[in-house]
Amino acid sequence: MLIAAIQFKAILWPTVILVALSFVFAILLAYLGKKLAVKRDEKIDMVLEKLAGANCGACGYPGCDGFAKALVEGKAKIGECNATPMANKNEIAKILGVDNNSVPTIVVCACRGGNDAKDKYYYQGYGDCRSMEMLSGGRKMCAWGCMGMGSCTKECHDNAIQINDGGYSEIDRKKCIGCGRCVAVCPKKILKRIPATAKVYVACSNHQRGKDVKAVCKKGCLGCGLCAKICPSGAIEMVDNLPVIDYSKCTGCGLCAGKCPVKCIVKIDE
Amino acid sequence: MTNILIIIVGAVFVNNFVLSQFLGICPFLGVSKKTETALGMGFAVIFVMGVASLFTFAVNKYLLLPLNLEYIQTIAFILIIAALVQLVEMVIKKFSPSLYNALGVYLPLITTNCAVLGVALMNVEDGYNMLEAFINGVFSGVGFTVAIVLLAGVREKLQRSDIPEAFRGFPITLIAASIISMAFVAFGGLV
Repeated sequence: MLIAAIQFKAILWPTVILVALSFVFAILLAYLGKKLAVKRDEKIDMVLEKLAGANCGACGYPGCDGFAKALVEGKAKIGECNATPMANKNEIAKILGVDNNSVPTIVVCACRGGNDAKDKYYYQGYGDCRSMEMLSGGRKMCAWGCMGMGSCTKECHDNAIQINDGGYSEIDRKKCIGCGRCVAVCPKKILKRIPATAKVYVACSNHQRGKDVKAVCKKGCLGCGLCAKICPSGAIEMVDNLPVIDYSKCTGCGLCAGKCPVKCIVKIDE
Repeated sequence: MTNILIIIVGAVFVNNFVLSQFLGICPFLGVSKKTETALGMGFAVIFVMGVASLFTFAVNKYLLLPLNLEYIQTIAFILIIAALVQLVEMVIKKFSPSLYNALGVYLPLITTNCAVLGVALMNVEDGYNMLEAFINGVFSGVGFTVAIVLLAGVREKLQRSDIPEAFRGFPITLIAASIISMAFVAFGGLV
């Protein structure tokens, strides 16, 4: 009986002391926390509510919260976020009292070579595109082509980009929020942003001459310039053996895509 | 009086927490990129160490010792330190947001900074009285500040110097820290 009482005390006292200490500190901190509370700009929370909330980090700030702070402080522009829908951007612009001058964009893969582009060597590593790029510029003979190792796939939080059966990256427009993480990670820089209103895009990035392109890839642009000649609005210009589309002039008629002999001008959502 | 002087010199130079006893290395390497932030961190640690010494001494002497509960010192001390750090964090957030941002995660990490817990436990171990414990706490913090500011100064110079590629960044920082530490060995035997 006596032993039991001693043991009970040995457990009771430390517990009581620690709980009492914690209680005193808790009350003290709760009081001081109210006293020393930092007022946060209400605008930040209002802006944060309208942001996409994807916390993708593509804007360069630590999450949407950091971006909202930077927006209110005037350090960032709303156009730097690609994930937020246009309607919300307009509302944020209203809250901040600035113009919303951002254009919604989508991401396209400017290469459709994939399995139709010849290999330079047989790759046996475990790596992704970035490590393969270090090994003499990737396994494809075309120095600009998609290597199909899926760095973009791994980087995407929304499963919106996959390597398709053709061996190149393809973006699922329904899933893509346009954050641009894949654009940043691609070592070949062939994932490109174009305005969301665009109807066609150039799916080749090889700047070599037609003959050299043909030697390495069946889908590559030959640099023939037919697209530039046929375009009724003069929106296409040949630069370094590749067509460049001026989307402010493009009417989306699709004549260029029909005329291209290798089908490397692609209609969107076809 | 001599006693106090010995404690001060011992805490700052001879038994410098970072450079001689290798406690509190985490903020020492983490927040020593800029002299100003290093100084801010140093003052935060001085404050926490000083006040923690007082509180832990009182709790130890008037609560734990009479009840023979020395074995929960560690938990009780961490509790006190955590509460103090929370307080420091609130104060800094209120009065110097820029310093708060610069210190970042290292500020709450003072909670588990072994230097702070170390000073509290060593006060008990060395049998200091309240004044001695407080002095020891404050000047251990000063020792920490001296060490971190010295390293920050060296690191600022390093940024502008031509370092072999393999040593750039963290390796050269560790080498610099070890050389500073070796310099402090010279104080050994002073007290």
